[in-house]
Amino acid sequence: MNGDLFGEGHGRSPARRAPERAGLVTDRAKPLTVTGVNALARGLLESSYPPLWVAGEVTGWKRTPSTGHCYFTLKDRTALLRCVMFRDDALRLPAMPEEGMQVRVQGTLTLYEQRGDFQLKVRVVEAEGTGGLYRIAFERLRGKLEAEGLLASARKRALPRFPGTVGVITSPIGAALHDILTVLERRAPWTRVLFSPAKVQGEGAAADIARAIRLFSRTNEADVLIVGRGGGSVEDLWAFNEEVVARAIASSPIPVVSAVGHEVDVTIADLVADARAATPSAAAECVVPDPGAIEGLLERAEYRLVSGLRRTVERPQRRLDVQVARMETAMTRRLGQRQSRMAAIDGRLESAMGRLLRRREDRLASLAGRLEALSPLAALRRGYAVPLAEDGTLLRSHRDFETGSSFRLRIADGSVDCSVEGVRPEEQE
Amino acid sequence: MSETRPTLEGSLGRLEAIVHALERDDLELEEALRLFEEGISHLRSAQGILKVAELRIERLIEERGEAYVEPVTDPGEL
Repeated sequence: MNGDLFGEGHGRSPARRAPERAGLVTDRAKPLTVTGVNALARGLLESSYPPLWVAGEVTGWKRTPSTGHCYFTLKDRTALLRCVMFRDDALRLPAMPEEGMQVRVQGTLTLYEQRGDFQLKVRVVEAEGTGGLYRIAFERLRGKLEAEGLLASARKRALPRFPGTVGVITSPIGAALHDILTVLERRAPWTRVLFSPAKVQGEGAAADIARAIRLFSRTNEADVLIVGRGGGSVEDLWAFNEEVVARAIASSPIPVVSAVGHEVDVTIADLVADARAATPSAAAECVVPDPGAIEGLLERAEYRLVSGLRRTVERPQRRLDVQVARMETAMTRRLGQRQSRMAAIDGRLESAMGRLLRRREDRLASLAGRLEALSPLAALRRGYAVPLAEDGTLLRSHRDFETGSSFRLRIADGSVDCSVEGVRPEEQE
Repeated sequence: MSETRPTLEGSLGRLEAIVHALERDDLELEEALRLFEEGISHLRSAQGILKVAELRIERLIEERGEAYVEPVTDPGEL
């Protein structure tokens, strides 16, 4: 072999026999070592061309667990090319390519000296077709999470209607944070925003987002969480498609709204989250209620409080007058105390109550008729009692009682003899 | 941190429960009055919360595994 390579006359050309590179000269007396030759060949290969893009079909992709390096072969109809992708480069792959997949790789020619293997040191692998490896990684993870039931709609929790604290996880420097704050400021300035900065793209982003989600989980400082970022390329948004983020969202005790990129971008985070918003602004919109809706709710609640009380008050017949008067006093007092900034609502409420009070007069007449028909025992059974004087007259006012005097208390199933220990008139408005 | 402060969710949730209770037909008068008073106070507290006009912004950070909440005085610094 030595002779073939380095002996006289057998090589195809003198130039090959004695390469001029680095002034290398060999002769029979001083042969190169095998190691030397491989080092030489490697140097030659590595300095031969800038990084090359190569298209081919992947076969035999293997990842060594101990080192994380990946080895595979690229082939076409007539030739094979050994390839290696070292750990740091391989870690950037969203997914390992599948057997037989058409890919484009970028790498430099080199030689694995220990074996003398000629190979391509690959830095980048792109799969042909839409989305390529990203699509594959997305579908794989989606399938896995789906099988675990983590995407089921039954898992989705309702968002709180009136969150006191909105947690926000995004980049401190992107537009997303600004958009979210702007919407919250306009729509629900009464909320507290708890912002936790996280790296949302590039190396370590997924782990950082997951860390921030767990930080909220641990401290339980928010009622709802917005996790997201503004738009970008598939690579930019990729952290939101990684398993570690999906799992952090799935295990968050706080409901999570995802808001990644633009309308069209759907990420794994979107699928796992309790709600998905198309953009960060939309996420802010959906975590806080519409201001008009709350005002309407308060307005209706106040109206129903008053009418609910009124119904109860009107029920027992004997103390009807007193109670209606009391209710009226209570309502006027309440109206007087109101210092609501919602002047419009005030106006509406007051006129609603005014109507109520006017209607009362008409209603009382008919109510009185209907109530007469009911046995007073019904009221007694509900726990009301009727104080009667010795002669059987009804005691209606505190003026009818005198300290030391005795009277009879009629209750549902009998009566009780009582004596007056003291009289406390109700204060007059 | 602010567990004792009334929250909008708490006030409105209780308010709704009271409204429902007050609309029942078997309520004692005293109970109805008590509920009415309580309802009004939750209503006022909700209105008070809604009056807050400026967003409160704080930052949740982690240092050496410990969680800290710190105020953000100037949103521009974010």
